[in-house]
Amino acid sequence: MGLVVGSNPMSMDAIAALLVERFAGDLDDVRIQEPDTIVARCAREQLRGVAARLKADAEVGYETLNWVAGVDRRTAFESVYHVYSWKTNTWMELHVELPKGKPEVDTVCDVWPAANWHEREAWDMVGIRYLGHPDLRRILLKDDFIGHPLRKDYVDLAENHPHV
Amino acid sequence: MYDHFETPEPDEAVKLALRRIEESTARGEGSEMDGLEFNEVVVNMGPQHPSTHGVLRLVVTLDGELVKDVIPVIGYLHRCKEKLAEKRTYFQYIPIVDRTEYLASINCEWGYVLAVEKLAGIRPTRRAEFIRVITGELMRIASHLVAVGTFTADLSPLGTAMVFYMFRDREQVLDLMEELTGARMMFNYFRFGGVRYDLPDGWAERCREFLKTFPAKIKEYEALVDDNAIFLQRTQGKGVITQQDVVDYGITGPNARASGVDLDLRRQRPYSVYPELEFDIITAHHGDIFDRYRVRMDEMRESLRIVEQCLDMLPKGPVQLGSLRAPYVITPPPGACYVGQENPRGEYGTYVESDGSRYPYRLKFRDPCFCNLQLFPKILSGNKIADAVAISGSIDLVLGGIDR
Amino acid sequence: MSERIRAAKYPKLEHFSEPNVITTTADFIFSWARSHSVFPFTYGLACCAIEMLSSGFARYDVARYGMEVFRPTPRQCDLMIVAGTVNEKMAPILRRLYDQMSEPKWVISMGACATSGGPFYDGYNVVNGVDKVVPVDVYIPGCPPRPEALFQGLLELQGKIQQFKFVPEKPAGYELFAADEAEPAEGAVTSAAEEA
Repeated sequence: MGLVVGSNPMSMDAIAALLVERFAGDLDDVRIQEPDTIVARCAREQLRGVAARLKADAEVGYETLNWVAGVDRRTAFESVYHVYSWKTNTWMELHVELPKGKPEVDTVCDVWPAANWHEREAWDMVGIRYLGHPDLRRILLKDDFIGHPLRKDYVDLAENHPHV
Repeated sequence: MYDHFETPEPDEAVKLALRRIEESTARGEGSEMDGLEFNEVVVNMGPQHPSTHGVLRLVVTLDGELVKDVIPVIGYLHRCKEKLAEKRTYFQYIPIVDRTEYLASINCEWGYVLAVEKLAGIRPTRRAEFIRVITGELMRIASHLVAVGTFTADLSPLGTAMVFYMFRDREQVLDLMEELTGARMMFNYFRFGGVRYDLPDGWAERCREFLKTFPAKIKEYEALVDDNAIFLQRTQGKGVITQQDVVDYGITGPNARASGVDLDLRRQRPYSVYPELEFDIITAHHGDIFDRYRVRMDEMRESLRIVEQCLDMLPKGPVQLGSLRAPYVITPPPGACYVGQENPRGEYGTYVESDGSRYPYRLKFRDPCFCNLQLFPKILSGNKIADAVAISGSIDLVLGGIDR
Repeated sequence: MSERIRAAKYPKLEHFSEPNVITTTADFIFSWARSHSVFPFTYGLACCAIEMLSSGFARYDVARYGMEVFRPTPRQCDLMIVAGTVNEKMAPILRRLYDQMSEPKWVISMGACATSGGPFYDGYNVVNGVDKVVPVDVYIPGCPPRPEALFQGLLELQGKIQQFKFVPEKPAGYELFAADEAEPAEGAVTSAAEEA
């Protein structure tokens, strides 16, 4: 009844071929990471459309968001989304590259509700701004914390440490 | 620095709660309690609270005794683990991973070690795989004991027989683990390619004795609560997690299984030697508090079954790769990988990114309780405050994992 | 020295001919009562809280030391056991709760994190030791400390409580019984009395 895991089992090559065919131009560099993950890149402007289509796909609907991570790659930022498909029982890791000076990307909260807190954490830790997020504020650090700690150029400030 | 007698300024969460009250007043909504004027109160179930199981702060908007809205505020235990990963070698980081979900630290180590081993291409020895499963399942039992014990302690004023009995039996599990690893809680036991120590003499016999005596204890716990009319009234039908919630919010673990979803990473994405073991996935239908409690109790029985099979199937051989000086400094090739593992609370995984050096480049934990906590505003609203406490106890949160 | 002075300086339990009559000093009797019925405040933050819970339950029974009454509100406690890491977000709250306890109060810092930051000492958000926020009486090392280690800390605290002077120390030059002529009077009081 209800939710079933793996109702449409497909081989990894078949899934990769399907994604390349349906998302030609939007999803680049589709690779298979054994045993059950597809890794792909997506451009920042197309993320929202791609996310909605990935979720609504009839054969490999990626309906659940597992986590969102922000990564500081020194020359650019990256927002990584890890999503799960119930129908095929496989995962997908979507990398979205963001320019160093302007780390902004559309939110996917309306596609995957789980993204709410994960995007807040990425904002808090790495400083990636999610446009359209209903409530983008710090989640783990105190409200008046200065800076984004997981950036590679973060320096420990005395203002963040009143108790010394 | 502090003025002891001054009320502090409302912080962001409280301001948000007050703003929401203003908005609903502007919309003209009235009170849902009979005979009360519309008068919503913002109450702080502060970070120090006997029932929040750790330093969780809930800013609750109450209308009489009805909970209108809950804003969870976390971060009171944020220990900068993801940043510390960049300053410690992969091996030095294992004790820190232990302290993420401290009730089941073996499973947290496992989640980290699996990801690094996959990235570095290290395969653990076969005997070590079986020992990993044995210790993982024993800590699953210990963790469920604490979870159910503190949950029942919440329902009554902080002192029930159940939690005393459960901690007494948890001590037996910790005795076994202490004999094996040397520690009661933070084991630092897993290594890349195996485990640190082999089973001492007689450990398997002592473990089997525990497996023989424990089922009677589970029956003892169930006899205490399962027929209690008050317990049933407080737990059945409350705090229902629907299957749509499981999909939308990424709920995993016993919370999802209690809603009828057949979701267990040991079957879905098998790791270690689970494909060779026989065990059932416990599900329930309603998704309420009582079902979550029942799923945890039955999972303890399944864990006993798994441990017994492993003890029977345990092969001979080394428990670590290479000589005694296992690979203590490893440099995985550049790349990234994520591996999830079935923690007692859900899917716990680590996304490890390496740039070829001795230190990880980026380490991100996927914590099950962080995802489960997002559901709080939805399932706590509309209940009385006492039910809210019971529901939050049944979700089984560990703040070490949420705040990392 | 007179008998009265000796009795004041060296407290002893003196049984008279009827049983159940004992003489001693107020210091001794109040400190004995205080140290053997301490009400701890459960300020369990992290992993050490689980060991604190374990020490309260059946195997390691903290009720043997009279400390099983763990109250969740600081207003009813006199001992705060800080078990776990304190970070910058939590520190003001820790201070507030400490201030809400009434005197006399003691603080035990349990575990490596509360003592000095522990394994997270170089975190950007971690306070290196709870003694930067509240005054600490006993430090218990360990990560986490075993329940037996917690008990050793509690016994040290009992020893510390028993040194508490109920009557304040007399200032220098003040004699207890100025009217006693057996001793040569010394100090400012008698000379002031002579002057007056």
